[in-house]
Amino acid sequence: MSGRELFLVGLSHKSAPIEVRERVALSGDALRSALHELRQMDGVQEAFVVSTCNRVEVYVQAEADEPARRFFTSRASEAGDHLYAKGGVEAVRHLFRVASSLDSMVVGEQQVLGQVKEAYGLASAVQAAGSYISRLCNRAFATAKRVRTETDIGRGATSMSQVAVELVQKIFGDLGGRAILLAGAGKMGALSAKALAGLGADRILVTNRSSERGLALAHQVKGTFREWEELPRLLVEADVVIVSTGAPSYVLGRDMVHAAMKARRQRSLCLIDLAVPRNVDPAAGRLPDVFAYDVDDMERVVEATHEARKSEALRAEAIVEAEVMAFAREREARAALPVLSQLRRRAEAIARAEAERTLAQVGGKLDEKGKKSVEAMAQAIVNKLLHGPTARLKEAASSGDGALAGAAAELFGIEEAPPAGNERGEAAPAEAHPRTPTAASNE
Amino acid sequence: MSVHILRIAAALYAGAAAAYIVYFARPRHGGAATAGFWLLAAAFAVNAVAFGVGCAEYGGLEFFSLRGGLVLLVWLASGAYLVLQRFYKVPTLGAFITPFTLVVLLPTLFGDPTHPEMAPAALRHPTLTLHVVTAVLGVALFGIAFGSAVMYLLQEREVKGKRFGALFSRLPSLDALDRMVQRLVRAGFVVYTVALVAGTITATAVWKSAWSWDPQQIVSLVVWFLYGAMVQLRHSGWHGRRYALLTLVGFVLVLGSMLSLKAVPGFTRHSGDYGLGPPAGGAQ
Repeated sequence: MSGRELFLVGLSHKSAPIEVRERVALSGDALRSALHELRQMDGVQEAFVVSTCNRVEVYVQAEADEPARRFFTSRASEAGDHLYAKGGVEAVRHLFRVASSLDSMVVGEQQVLGQVKEAYGLASAVQAAGSYISRLCNRAFATAKRVRTETDIGRGATSMSQVAVELVQKIFGDLGGRAILLAGAGKMGALSAKALAGLGADRILVTNRSSERGLALAHQVKGTFREWEELPRLLVEADVVIVSTGAPSYVLGRDMVHAAMKARRQRSLCLIDLAVPRNVDPAAGRLPDVFAYDVDDMERVVEATHEARKSEALRAEAIVEAEVMAFAREREARAALPVLSQLRRRAEAIARAEAERTLAQVGGKLDEKGKKSVEAMAQAIVNKLLHGPTARLKEAASSGDGALAGAAAELFGIEEAPPAGNERGEAAPAEAHPRTPTAASNE
Repeated sequence: MSVHILRIAAALYAGAAAAYIVYFARPRHGGAATAGFWLLAAAFAVNAVAFGVGCAEYGGLEFFSLRGGLVLLVWLASGAYLVLQRFYKVPTLGAFITPFTLVVLLPTLFGDPTHPEMAPAALRHPTLTLHVVTAVLGVALFGIAFGSAVMYLLQEREVKGKRFGALFSRLPSLDALDRMVQRLVRAGFVVYTVALVAGTITATAVWKSAWSWDPQQIVSLVVWFLYGAMVQLRHSGWHGRRYALLTLVGFVLVLGSMLSLKAVPGFTRHSGDYGLGPPAGGAQ
């Protein structure tokens, strides 16, 4: 098949180590000029580049994938060993899978769709992406949206701090008017506290055996430092307690928590124990209205999410496949449009001329209503006559059969290409496409 | 005639229940919850028409039978849920309330509805309607509080037991459920208080005595004290699991007493001849 096609050349976390990825990754002005450069290359009609920390992919509508390959090899010679290349439907499928987060490191993560959208926005801003890539990307976004709403691929927590957020949400809803207590200076603790602060907590309290490190930590998470000796009282003040100290034994014993619950009048208390060995006595977690979780509990949630996403990914793949096929069919159907519009335009011109001729002869004997019905009759004949052929041509084209369009063109003597710009801006890609009526009739 | 309209309403109630259950099973289909809401709203409206026609047919005293009382309970509970959904957005609660109302409604659709248990004319007093409607609305609100408390306990079991399954993701947060229970108990208590006051006024006028150790009166007072205590306990800081359990106990008592009192003929003056002696005409 001659003519232009979609080609993809790229590398990702699956094919290339970070050292290579970072050498070819681009953003901002560098990306803009790279797009210009691509667009200027021989045979490249349209182009866009997805560049994230996990992947760099160049999509071109061109005659071959050579320009896209050169994009990589000119930047890092060793990149050539890590490239994958796809063409036609394969390339379309790849983009749809990427946008739907099926190719991501963490399958189902949310960011990649935004990154692809950004990449498309940039490419169309510098006019590297035209109507073909615009249709392609919009279809990819629609596919990603379908995958997100029709499957549970985005559900569940994929990291410890996400698990903490989800748990706290199920206990308290949001944290408006509540306080988080961070006890101990473990790294995971600070991360979780920051994630939880996003739920609208009023304040973050920090306590640590060494007040020096505690103060530094309080500064880091924008909280207030309190002395370690105040811990029993802090358990009454805070609703979520994140414990991650290096202590070799339980820091929060059952009795301390029991006393705190009494003082709290049984208001729910959530204890998140990120320390190994554990800092919270399991017996404390069994007290009424206390909700305690340790590292194992949270790991289990993360694992369950990955398992669930694996099975959801299968359903997502089916959606992607359906969308890829639909996109390919639409493209074929578009190829039949010039013949159809030509045919209809010609028929309508004949009908109008004939109606005028008739009216010129007998129009004097007719009132306004009579003239109208002569014109309507001519139009109705055109519509009825063309209805069947129109439907069949569209059908043949969408099932990939271009021969019928060619035959129709020949039969009705439609040889010349349709005048440019009369197809609501969609004429350009149709012309660029190999299956113009004349090309089809040569098959 | 009214029973036919009521059957239409019942079909709509069933549709609403089905939609809410579908929503609960497949939370991704938010449209199911919307459909449930509007079906329930339609059922509520059609049920109101059935009441109007029923009042015209039976002289406005349909509610004195157990049958009428149950329909009124379903109607008011549905109305209360519609209001809750409108303001607090708790579509999962719908999956708990609507099937329950359907179960209550079903027995009323069968049997012979053309001869409802009529209340004697001597009982007619301006405060009687208020008494009946507020008493039933109070019970409806306690019923929804019961549903929310069940949801609380289910969710508590999930969260505390570290079972992060289907229920965990579908049910609202514990805090939201806890506050919902509290709101409903408080509102139910206020409405129930109005019912007791209106009942006392009616009793004074009709039975010539405000308090006659009638079993229904005793039970109502116990219920009133119980829910009053719950409102008070909340102020002194009762939360969570204990409070949800108390709500369950309260409603079981309400439902049990209501049904058992109606089941034993002549036990309470709130049924049969309403403590007014055999009717002169000998109807019934």
